Amino acid sequence: MTTPIPHTALTRRHLFQLLGLGAGTAALAACAPSAGGSAGTAATGGGAKTDFAFSSWSLTEETAAPAIQSLLGAYGDDNGVSIEEVSYPYNEYISQLTLQVQGGQFTGAAHVDVAWLGSLAALGKLQDLGPLAEGVDYTEAGLTAAQFDGVQYGLPWNIGAIGLVTNSAMLAKAGVDEFPVTIDDFTTALTKIKKLGDGVIPYAASTKAAQLKDILIWMETFGSPLLDGSTVTIGDDASVEAVTWYKELYDKGLIAPDVDRFDARSLFAQGRTPIYDDAIVGRDAVVTESPDKDLAGKLAAQSRPVLAAGDTPRALVWGGAIAVVDGEGAETAADFARWVTSDPDAAREYFEERGLPPATESALALPEVAADEFGAQFSERITATATSNPFWAYPQYAQIESAIAEQVQAVLVGSKDAKSAMAHAGETAQGLID
Amino acid sequence: MSATTQLPATPPSGRAPAATTAPAPAPAPRRRRAALRSERPGVRLAAWVTVVVCGGFGLLPVYWLLATALTPRDQVFAYPPRLFPAAPTLDAFAALASNEQLFVYLRNSVVVSVITAVLSVLVSAYMGYSFSKFRYRGRRSLMYLVLASQMFPQALLLVTLYSVFSAYGLLNTYTALVLSFTTFTLPLCVWMLKGFFDTIPDELVEAARVDGASRLRIIHSIVLPLAAPGLIAAGLFAFVRGWNDFIFALTLAGPDKQTLPPGLVNTFIGEASTAWPELMAASLVVSLPVAIAFIALQKYLVGGLTAGAVKG
Repeated sequence: MTTPIPHTALTRRHLFQLLGLGAGTAALAACAPSAGGSAGTAATGGGAKTDFAFSSWSLTEETAAPAIQSLLGAYGDDNGVSIEEVSYPYNEYISQLTLQVQGGQFTGAAHVDVAWLGSLAALGKLQDLGPLAEGVDYTEAGLTAAQFDGVQYGLPWNIGAIGLVTNSAMLAKAGVDEFPVTIDDFTTALTKIKKLGDGVIPYAASTKAAQLKDILIWMETFGSPLLDGSTVTIGDDASVEAVTWYKELYDKGLIAPDVDRFDARSLFAQGRTPIYDDAIVGRDAVVTESPDKDLAGKLAAQSRPVLAAGDTPRALVWGGAIAVVDGEGAETAADFARWVTSDPDAAREYFEERGLPPATESALALPEVAADEFGAQFSERITATATSNPFWAYPQYAQIESAIAEQVQAVLVGSKDAKSAMAHAGETAQGLID
Repeated sequence: MSATTQLPATPPSGRAPAATTAPAPAPAPRRRRAALRSERPGVRLAAWVTVVVCGGFGLLPVYWLLATALTPRDQVFAYPPRLFPAAPTLDAFAALASNEQLFVYLRNSVVVSVITAVLSVLVSAYMGYSFSKFRYRGRRSLMYLVLASQMFPQALLLVTLYSVFSAYGLLNTYTALVLSFTTFTLPLCVWMLKGFFDTIPDELVEAARVDGASRLRIIHSIVLPLAAPGLIAAGLFAFVRGWNDFIFALTLAGPDKQTLPPGLVNTFIGEASTAWPELMAASLVVSLPVAIAFIALQKYLVGGLTAGAVKG
């Protein structure tokens, strides 16, 4: 037993064997069956009340958690049920929830971003909440945002949009008294703002790959439908013109490199940019982080400039909905979903705590909601014309957006021209859809 | 005076001076000081600049962590950035102290990391010893199989482990975390300890055998004490792996057993904003135990990692 043993060394042959083993495993994994998608059972929200689980990324956020926990407590007390809280960080939420739902670990009510409904619906475990939405005055935009493939997989909770948020005082200082309506005027205004100097970035547009999906709304503004039926139109003249214009802003220093939503909020809060893209949920963040105690009063929501005067301004739907995962406690969870999204008292309480727009006509007419000037501006100028991202209809939408963003970034850094990059992006996106 | 003038002059004949006349060699520290003095000022300056730059490269992030933790939230992104907080505050640390949930995360991290470290050392010590000192059919294949497990993408293993733990009802338990962390630490620990055991002469084991020691006695009373630095290095590696993991802890632990990395992200990073001072303060505090462990055990860690590296 104690005979000296020759030392084992990794030879090229061993490495090839190991690589082959790894590749084989990866191939097996790739061949694994994918989840099938089908509409779940129709929710009734009736029957005896039972305990259920509620999942939300906001349940551990210090600013959001108290408001949600208060609502959970109120429903639980009124109905004599216990609600288990489940939470994951926002950036990990959809992957974790998908795993839990697919593995049968999670059933109940889940707070979801409307962009995720397609991915979750594909698991085939979401209830159809259409019957519960009947007779409730949800806004048409809210109901549409919480649908996938014509099925009401979610009940809208807070529906808004992503649009241009501005600092009116900075714009006035730069001599931009009226917010520009057309893209040409917008470019001229950005040039004026740049003359403020002192490191001011005229428009903190997204330029980091992770957030470059923001370019899609500009492509639509330039006239590209992005998707025609199931045919990707990226690579058409409008999308190329949009990216060429973006690149022009980039080259002239009117937008800055390496900016994502978080960077944009910080730049805005510090008074280093007067314009950036955000949803209304970003208001608290910029106001809290700003040394300017009057920033809240300077905020203004603006319609996105259009190609030609008279065009409809584009905006991307943003919002949260409650979906119900079939299984233990699902009926009570569905009842909770309807209550929390439509009860006027619950809507008032939640709005007062978080300032997020409710999704029913009656809640929008509440005096507290109507008195929110910035919120009203947001609804009138941005949300009113917001549309969903057509790629959200596909569970692989995140990959599609990444593929497009990668090509746009190649244009921005000068390694590709807009025409060939968008043609490539369109082909890649089409490949992912097919 | 330059150091070269202190060296004994070579006689004109070119032969070395007789041993009886040669001065005694200078002690090692004196030789090093002499060598330093012999360097030209430019070389010394370059050496110092390199040390300072490398030191700054390593320490500046830690300083920035501390500075951000002491900065009020509305000044974190102040432009131009300030090297020193204009109005330092301990609010972020106070917020940590009053957050009871963080202590739950801390307790979970300690429990999981310590058990992972102990279990990893225990298993890898026997495996490493077997690979090093025994010869049997399939030994090499097993060694490479252990190594091959490192080649799987962790995301792939996460889904697999999730399914297995779910089937056995182990989700949301310490067991799930410990087993998954140990799965990842074992290959490196086994190879590290095998290298360490290779450096222990087989004759020592043979001598103990001749003296009548049983196989287990040889392992426990002779080999393992000699391999203590390796065991400590392997344990430290496993501890840090368990302490730092994010994605497995997030997925397998559930809310009650969540450890610090996902706990901190969950607490301080929100949909629209991040509580940077609190996050930095928490990061600083939770990295202290690992830093202290490293400082206390670094000589073992370096020794353990390099053991067997130059053995022929």
